Amino acid sequence: MSHAGDRVGTWIGWAFFADLGKALALTFGYMFSRSVTMQYPDKEKWLPYPRYRGHHFLKRDEEGEIKCVACELCARICPCDCIEVIPYEDEKGNRRPAKFEIDTARCLFCGLCEDACPADAIALGQQYEFSSFSSRDLIIGRDDLLGKPGKAATGGAVVAARLSTEKDVLVEASELQGYNWWRNIRQT
Amino acid sequence: MELIVALGLIVFKVAFLIAILLLLPLPLTWLERKIAGHIQQRMGPMRVGWHGLLQPVADGIKLLTKEDHIPADADRFLFKLAPILALAPPFVVFVAVPFGETVSVLGAEITLYVSNMNVALLFVFAVIGIEVYGVIFGGWAANSKYAVLGSLRTCAQMISYEIPMGFAVIGVVMLAQSMSLLEIVRAQADVWNIVYQPVGFFVFFVAGLAEAQRIPFDLAEAEGDLGAGFHTEYSGIRFAFFMVSEYAIMLLVSVLVVILFFGGWNGVLLPLPPLLWFALKVAFFIYVFIWFRFTFPRYRYDQLMAIGWKVLLPLSMANIIITGVLLGATAAP
Repeated sequence: MSHAGDRVGTWIGWAFFADLGKALALTFGYMFSRSVTMQYPDKEKWLPYPRYRGHHFLKRDEEGEIKCVACELCARICPCDCIEVIPYEDEKGNRRPAKFEIDTARCLFCGLCEDACPADAIALGQQYEFSSFSSRDLIIGRDDLLGKPGKAATGGAVVAARLSTEKDVLVEASELQGYNWWRNIRQT
Repeated sequence: MELIVALGLIVFKVAFLIAILLLLPLPLTWLERKIAGHIQQRMGPMRVGWHGLLQPVADGIKLLTKEDHIPADADRFLFKLAPILALAPPFVVFVAVPFGETVSVLGAEITLYVSNMNVALLFVFAVIGIEVYGVIFGGWAANSKYAVLGSLRTCAQMISYEIPMGFAVIGVVMLAQSMSLLEIVRAQADVWNIVYQPVGFFVFFVAGLAEAQRIPFDLAEAEGDLGAGFHTEYSGIRFAFFMVSEYAIMLLVSVLVVILFFGGWNGVLLPLPPLLWFALKVAFFIYVFIWFRFTFPRYRYDQLMAIGWKVLLPLSMANIIITGVLLGATAAP
């Protein structure tokens, strides 16, 4: 009996476009909800988590010397063949890279070089802004890689951004680890 | 002397109207994109000007400077004629549309309409029918399958929806005892027609959505399945003509809904100036059009036909009969 009553109610609802009204109410509600757009690069930008695989950098040991032993394992494991290492022997008799170039135009940021490195010399950091007018600029050499900032302690936040990214942008995040992606999504 | 002043006034009014109709798509496209963005939890245009306010200007410049491309196998004459045929009728129609009674400027009473035709409603429907030719010619002349499909759909859609649309207003004409839009608004001074003609409004509004080729009835230019339909092959300023025409028709349908069913410039509760009341109502219906666009999906072709012939046409006819019977019953002593 109540089942039939429900069906009659549904039919009456359809006759007066209750379903269309519901849809309109939903979109109207969404119109006044906060938008999820991140206004990059005008106003804000996303600072990734520390585990993010962004820019490459080479590490130094405690004495300030490059950690890399130029074993070329990273070059071997690289799936897109974008690392070029040429070793030499320095004055202490250690094997070091004379040339260490990463073609970031070809790199797919898989992080396998970081995993393969036996000397813990190469790692991937937080920066992701690699745009350039020339693909030649995207080939990064040894000294540049050494000068890059290392792993960040914090991340996972929205920070203020500016249009110019010529200098390295490194902003300490205020909202640490744990950006709530569902913050702006309207719950119904 | 009198004649020259009157003529000058008409020329001024027409020029003013054309300027407004040509400029109105600029804020309307901005509004449409903004509303679309916010309904989809985006922001819409933000980068050109304050909150993207100058975006339509940038788009206009882009359209003006784009290559005006004509396909190799196109019928060049019809291809060039179509955008003009699509653009002119919505502009012509506004000659018969009143925006208010009078305003006094510098002591002189100026009427807020170009002409007070006694068959204004008939004129509106007759002229707006011509707009379809622009769409059909445009699709045919481009010599493209998508465009022809879009044109054919438009053809069928216009025929199906023009009839219930025409029938829907008969109830209003019966109530006002006049086809003059001015008289129809005056007849609604006390009670708006929406109270007497809810079914008529419904039929008119749905048919108007189809007439303006807005979602959920935008089969002629279904982006998803026809890649823009009849104006697939158009670019640059000719494409802009179609867009302006589309927005002018959207405005026209909103204006007609307000005049026929929502009391025109008659206000309720708030003692605002009549012109402002009119503008507010029209703005509301334009918002509803945009709101509908980003809420509903597109109807399938057979559903479109079924709605037109099986729902709207009987409804509008029943509306005429019931209105007539009730009018006769109340008029009888």
